[in-house]
Amino acid sequence: MIDSETATQEKSSKDPYLLLPFRFMRFPKSKILLVNEVGEFIFLNTTDFEKLISYKLNNGSELYYDLKAKSFISDSDSELPYRIDLLATKYRTKKAYLRNFTSLHMVVITLRCNHRCNYCHASSQDADAQKFDMNIETSRKVVEAIFMSPSPYIKIEFQGGEPLLNFNTVKSIVHYAEKVNRQKQKYLSFVLCTNLTLIDESILRFLKEHDVLISTSLDGTKDIHDANRILRKGGSSYDTFLEKLQITRRVLGKDKVSALMTVTKTNINQLRRVIDEYLNQDFRGVFLRSLNPYGYAKKVTGEQLNYPINDFIDAYIDAFEYIIHLNLEGRHFEEYFANILFTRILTPFSTGFMDLQSPAGAGILGTIYNFNGDVFPTDEARMLAAMGDNHFCLGNVFNNSYQEMFNGTTLRNIIKQSCVEIIPECHCCPYQPYCGADPVRAYSVQKDKHYVGHIPTSEFCKKHKAIISYFMKLLEQNNEDVMNVIWAWITKRDINELKLS
Amino acid sequence: MENIFAFIDDNKILIRLKKQFYEKLAIFSAAHKFTDNFIVKIDEIDKQTVGIYLSLKDSRNKELLKSAPEEFCNEVLDQQIRLDIEKKYGPIRDIIVNQAFSPISITDLKNEIKKKL
Repeated sequence: MIDSETATQEKSSKDPYLLLPFRFMRFPKSKILLVNEVGEFIFLNTTDFEKLISYKLNNGSELYYDLKAKSFISDSDSELPYRIDLLATKYRTKKAYLRNFTSLHMVVITLRCNHRCNYCHASSQDADAQKFDMNIETSRKVVEAIFMSPSPYIKIEFQGGEPLLNFNTVKSIVHYAEKVNRQKQKYLSFVLCTNLTLIDESILRFLKEHDVLISTSLDGTKDIHDANRILRKGGSSYDTFLEKLQITRRVLGKDKVSALMTVTKTNINQLRRVIDEYLNQDFRGVFLRSLNPYGYAKKVTGEQLNYPINDFIDAYIDAFEYIIHLNLEGRHFEEYFANILFTRILTPFSTGFMDLQSPAGAGILGTIYNFNGDVFPTDEARMLAAMGDNHFCLGNVFNNSYQEMFNGTTLRNIIKQSCVEIIPECHCCPYQPYCGADPVRAYSVQKDKHYVGHIPTSEFCKKHKAIISYFMKLLEQNNEDVMNVIWAWITKRDINELKLS
Repeated sequence: MENIFAFIDDNKILIRLKKQFYEKLAIFSAAHKFTDNFIVKIDEIDKQTVGIYLSLKDSRNKELLKSAPEEFCNEVLDQQIRLDIEKKYGPIRDIIVNQAFSPISITDLKNEIKKKL
């Protein structure tokens, strides 16, 4: 154990090296993890850590050179400007997602849906409730607001409800956006989030013509999928989904369709079966997404859907280990959330995952336009409005200018309070460069009107800390086979290309 | 270790720390971390000593109370180390962030370092 006297002693002579900024935490087996401002990390034993902070490291040792290479120390005052410039460049790269402002624009085409999923946080409406459709006039104002974003990349993601129930508006938006873009010249792309059950050849021809990608939902095998994804007219959602998936892949191509799943109490102890189902249906990966406490999921009782966060953590780790095992057996299959985190840990690059950013990606990375033209910084904020709390509404495309919505006090206040650098507990956490804040959750779940929340009791923190800690443990073990799998995911290469011969 | 803490009752413990070794910020940062399972009160025992009272939120979790003193001592030590290290490199962090987000040259960077350190 490090004693306080050693740690706090004053230096009586010039320091042999300079410490550069880092944070640290204790790990099992007397290890200490150090992470610097740009996410570079190193594990030390307690003796070496004590030497480091007491300026007693041997400047010819391998450890000294490792620490220098990773910018934990600087040799001298004269070297310091170059070290700082290097760190500044990496810092700027890590925060690159801030550079362009909002690139992801989610458009709620309708609240109508032909399903009534138990965990739906969109709080969908009956399939014939057309008053919940986005009309053409609103959709044009939405497109005009979208193209006010300074980002050179614009991704329009159609959501619902089930967008295919209002496909005319989808088509109208695609046509109008392409027309506007002839002048704006941005990198424009489209994604359709659909349960696929209403798709047909004519819709698919349109999607193919305009290169629209598909994001769909598959919760697992038939019994798991049908348990919570309920067709309003009855029958098996899974059976119809599979039939439509085949048609969709035939027309669009397999790589144009990806799937998401939601972990509920139904499948949390069966994630290996879920993964097998994804493999059987020829998907290349899965995002193991925990339940969000919004919409129907909040109304439905805890016994039916929800689970303690520790159960999710255990299930996630088990599923991840199973996926690694499958990869080592020669089947390329990713866990997408793990890929995002490993990219943040092992590379200097920014990853645009708005649910875990600092400052939060709410509004500045992605935003959502409701069927009636109301604009929200996240889908969860929109859900709060559906449950009666309009706190996070940024404005409406008919009544408010782009500046009022995206440079107004509502969004600025959210962003100001969502920097982990200043949140108690987060401020000293070594996972800071990899993590982020969720101001809407802090407000909604932890009832904090300042959007910060209470980190020691935050399930959001608990989940991310546990998963990142597990990944750091893997990196510390540095098993070659496991690292090959991780790097194959990050670099999008075949694992055999990475193996040392 | 026994002089550092004392059980007030079945659900409450008092940890005594010398102000000479631990700054207020380190103690508060450590105490905040324990607010998941404990109600925390910080008070002065005497001019040299600060007392941290940890009361269990849920009296069924008595095993947490047993390990709390040692965990708290380690945590406040870590927080103090963080503060001490921060005093040495804190200005460097400011320079990194400024350099990252403003178009200043290497020459100016040297002056900036001279000013802050």
